[in-house]
Amino acid sequence: MSAIGQIIARQRHFNPVAFWAGIAVAFVPALAGLALLGVAGWFITACAIAGLTAVFLNVFVPSALIRGLAIARTAGRYGERMVTHDATFRFLAFLRTGIFKGHANAALQGARKLRSGASLNRLTSDVALLDAVYLRLAVPTVVALGVGLLVCLWFAYLDWRLLAGLGLFAAAVISMVVRLKGRNAAAARRLEAGHEALRVRSVDLVAGRRDLAVYGGLDKAAGKVMVANDALIRAESEIDNSAGSFTAATFLAGQVYLAVMLTLTGLLVFDGGLPMGAGVAVLLVSIALPELVSALVPGLSALPRTQRAAARAEANLQAAETGNMDVNAVAQSVPSAAFDGGNTAVLAFDQVSFAYPGAGRSVLEAFDMSLAPGECVALVGRSGCGKSTVSALAAGLAAPVSGAIRLNGAPVGEAGEERLRKQVTVLTQKPYLFHDTVAANLRIANPDASEADMWEALERAALADRIGRSPAGLETVLGEGGLGLSGGEQRRLGLARAYLTRPVLWILDEMTEGLDNETANDVLDRFFSFKGDAAVLMIAHKPQEVARADRQVRLADMF
Amino acid sequence: MRIARRVIAAGRHRGRRIKLVELTADDRGQGALEGAAEEARTRKPAPADLLLGNERAALSRAGLLLCLSDLLWIGQAALLAFCAASMLSAFMAEDTAVLPLLFLAASAFAFVLIGGARALCQHKAGQMARRVAATVKIRKRGEFLASIARVSPASGMPGSGQMAAYLSEQIDALGPYLTHFMPQQQRLKIVPLAIVLTVLPISWLASLILMVTGPVIPLFMALVGMRAKAASEAQQEELARMSGMLLDRLRGLVTLRLFGALSNTERDIETAGERFRNGTMNVLKIAFLSSTVLELFSALGIAFVAVYVGFSLLGDLSAGTWWGALSFGPGLFILLLAPEFFAPLRAYAAAYHDRAAGLAALSKLDALDRSLTEMAAVNRSDTAVRGTDPAAVQRPGLAQTAPVLRQAPLIDISRLQVGAQSARRLASVTFTARAGEAVILRGRSGSGKTTLIDCLLGFVDADGGHILINGFPLSDFDPAGWRRSVAWIGQSPALFHGSIRSNLELANETASGADLENALALAGASGFVSRLPKGLNTVIGEEGFGLSVGEGRRLALARAALRTDAPVLLADEPTAGLDDDTAQDVIAGLERLAEGRTVLLATHDPRVLRLSWRQIELTAGAREASA
Repeated sequence: MSAIGQIIARQRHFNPVAFWAGIAVAFVPALAGLALLGVAGWFITACAIAGLTAVFLNVFVPSALIRGLAIARTAGRYGERMVTHDATFRFLAFLRTGIFKGHANAALQGARKLRSGASLNRLTSDVALLDAVYLRLAVPTVVALGVGLLVCLWFAYLDWRLLAGLGLFAAAVISMVVRLKGRNAAAARRLEAGHEALRVRSVDLVAGRRDLAVYGGLDKAAGKVMVANDALIRAESEIDNSAGSFTAATFLAGQVYLAVMLTLTGLLVFDGGLPMGAGVAVLLVSIALPELVSALVPGLSALPRTQRAAARAEANLQAAETGNMDVNAVAQSVPSAAFDGGNTAVLAFDQVSFAYPGAGRSVLEAFDMSLAPGECVALVGRSGCGKSTVSALAAGLAAPVSGAIRLNGAPVGEAGEERLRKQVTVLTQKPYLFHDTVAANLRIANPDASEADMWEALERAALADRIGRSPAGLETVLGEGGLGLSGGEQRRLGLARAYLTRPVLWILDEMTEGLDNETANDVLDRFFSFKGDAAVLMIAHKPQEVARADRQVRLADMF
Repeated sequence: MRIARRVIAAGRHRGRRIKLVELTADDRGQGALEGAAEEARTRKPAPADLLLGNERAALSRAGLLLCLSDLLWIGQAALLAFCAASMLSAFMAEDTAVLPLLFLAASAFAFVLIGGARALCQHKAGQMARRVAATVKIRKRGEFLASIARVSPASGMPGSGQMAAYLSEQIDALGPYLTHFMPQQQRLKIVPLAIVLTVLPISWLASLILMVTGPVIPLFMALVGMRAKAASEAQQEELARMSGMLLDRLRGLVTLRLFGALSNTERDIETAGERFRNGTMNVLKIAFLSSTVLELFSALGIAFVAVYVGFSLLGDLSAGTWWGALSFGPGLFILLLAPEFFAPLRAYAAAYHDRAAGLAALSKLDALDRSLTEMAAVNRSDTAVRGTDPAAVQRPGLAQTAPVLRQAPLIDISRLQVGAQSARRLASVTFTARAGEAVILRGRSGSGKTTLIDCLLGFVDADGGHILINGFPLSDFDPAGWRRSVAWIGQSPALFHGSIRSNLELANETASGADLENALALAGASGFVSRLPKGLNTVIGEEGFGLSVGEGRRLALARAALRTDAPVLLADEPTAGLDDDTAQDVIAGLERLAEGRTVLLATHDPRVLRLSWRQIELTAGAREASA
């Protein structure tokens, strides 16, 4: 099944009532619109005949019907829009959650390489594109087919020979749809690549202006963006032009269809088979019928792009389903070693080796280390020797190839995600701050933290004054990536966030890197006065950090 | 520190947040842009400025072609009505001979011919409008890129992501505005009027029905639309925030995991989605109402015309015509024209969203354009250096004729200052670096080290004093040529999306393989580059291989080393944020690069200050540091 089909199936499965209700309601305006023209055509013809022959004609039923259909068409259109949009938004919300779940699962299963910023960007914009699947593809297609079928039945009831014209038209439209579908796939790929190149090169141009001015020249870099732009415009034109040709071709097919119907009805009226009124009704319905196809044009011309977006989203959603997110799973059997008195190491590495999958060389080889309760150990070594790998292993973000890592005597991998997170807090060089309020950023660490707790944590991190000065206080919204706070302030907010946890083990990953000495010492002082009797694993290369440790563990250079 | 308080958006669902207040960084470019955007909101953007004369003409021709297509329908409708009327009279007379097959076939053929002409008109109109949109987009992007390249690299600019969004999405939003909306304006002006005028001679009453229902529509739509517009703008922001939130949470996934906040966040995303849906549906409730009004009037218009024609034909109603009773043919003709009277209105309303998006993009682009122009003006006041430079005044004949540098030059800086009295970025600096001499500029952050280097690169113009290179004012050198004779390492060097090789070759296009090897070896980068999956051809940058800070710095050093013929070396905090081992490698590389060059190195790193080079302390006034 194509990705779009899968997305449609997903939406049907997600909320079948809303899915079918939207389609059912969409039939109302389509049918009412056709019927309005048909009845009107029949009505004036009948009137004309009655006027000429002075036969009695009940005019009140048809004229009331005409007004009723006019109102049904209007109300139906409104209802259709409301119901289909509501169904779509519900589904998109579900998709977003699903995509987050998929990524969370991948992270929990230890996927090493997190996706690049660009692909995450694309993924989230894909979701927005997917509203077209139901609104512009599923609903209009089903309505066009359904209404087409009803018109077929009506034609067949009147005279089966009328079907010839309709069949011709349907065949023409279907062959054009098939042609359009095959044509744009390559252009859609180039369109995406063009968009991506335009974005990446503009980012490079703006972010690297100093470097480009000296090396290579700004004008040349701007020229490269324009090359991407040209490719993008070419792909766009190609897609737009084939959509334009499709529109023109279906329009022409509609015109030919009308001409055929004109001839057919004329012949059939004289053949005696078809009443004059019905003939005019058939003609008027035929005028409006091609509109059902033109409702499909926007959805069809964007089809290849939607297809690509659907395929990516689908892959992600499947990842969400295959992994079961056992965040709340608790270790079934905690080895009794965990409770063998006070002399168990908080953290112990026992002959641990680690290598990235597929890599020739291992990053760690038979590494031993242990941390006693309350102890602070500095892990030193030159960059690239695997310090960060040790931190990732200890935090349970990666699993060793061989050997065992124990936290309070229990293997890290078996502790269960939730328990592990309660026991270990990691403070990184650059804390990730969310584009949200200060309070929301703090509550990531502890959703139950009260305002007082948060102010206390900020106080400890020496940030309370700064946040207090802002009129919105804890409700101050941080810009993307902590925008609005200086580098040091961001670090302090990260610290405050960590202070809302009470772990048994802290992992500090180059916590004061890039801070000036004064700030670094202040941050370190505050941390050590707060940490209490928890153990600390500190990845460091600055002497002032290393000096705070009880002892050092030097990682040998593996290269 | 001053906290800039900015109200980004007011009004939030359920009054959860009354105001969104954002703390802004001390980012002048951002501020300038915001200010300009504020101004643009009050100033109405002028779409006319967007188009050149011939483009406006092309769009207008496209609109006229659409009108022509609609007007041809009048002919087709007449043909249909005539055929039906002939059918009726033949039907009444029960005489097939009145209507031979040939007549029907000929009519059908004529109908298809006109239909073909209409298809051609529509297709041509679409092509013309698309061509205009493409050229406008190309031109706009070209203009912006030229402005970006013109602005000094030292001036603040909005974030690169934001600028990329301007260059791609905002400019893209102009496309549908030009292709879908603009041609519809003409259609709206001409077609309904033409149809009313066509109906008028046949029946003034039918014409009146159309005339009454037609103009009422825009009025109602405007009433409903005004409320919808404000609401939908707020909702657009909410949508952006909504996808922004998902993106943000995905980027911070590891943090969320480390704090055990994954399931809570999942719930947050769910509630945010629900809130967004509710908000959007509230907006759409009103927005759809405006198109429903249109729908209602067009449906009722058709119904009234049908009933009026029907009753006239019955003979119950004889009013509305100029003479005699309405007959079947003309009656059907009127009925066929009625939907077409409303069609341009419906198309206009359908394209209205494209108009809103296009105009919004236009006003944003307008604001950016003006702030870029301002920035370019501020940093390219060419008189700044030369005007206050006595040396230049003494050598009027030599302006712009400074020779190309081949050997390490003498750099003479005297009383150089940048920034106004109240906000000095660099306070009067005087010193001389002899040809081939290496000088360290030291000083605390904020003492103007980077500003001085920026002056030397020509990114910032001095507000006083002068820089002489071999006795020639810096402003006499062609900026690009001067920069080509400089090897430079910045404090946060940028590497670009592409292979390592293409990044290095930016410094020297004609570098041989051996040159590359030497440069990498000098920078201590040979080792890690050879370990990368594809060596020199490994793609780095966005979506490429992530490099550590140290690795990036080594590559930047290699890039500088590739400028083998550059007689000047400028370095700005080349060891910032590096661990000791990497820093030692970088310092050793710099020492080798310094040979045979005039060197200015700005730093406050004690590891670099150990070098035996002459040191200049940058403070309120520069002076020789005690050695």
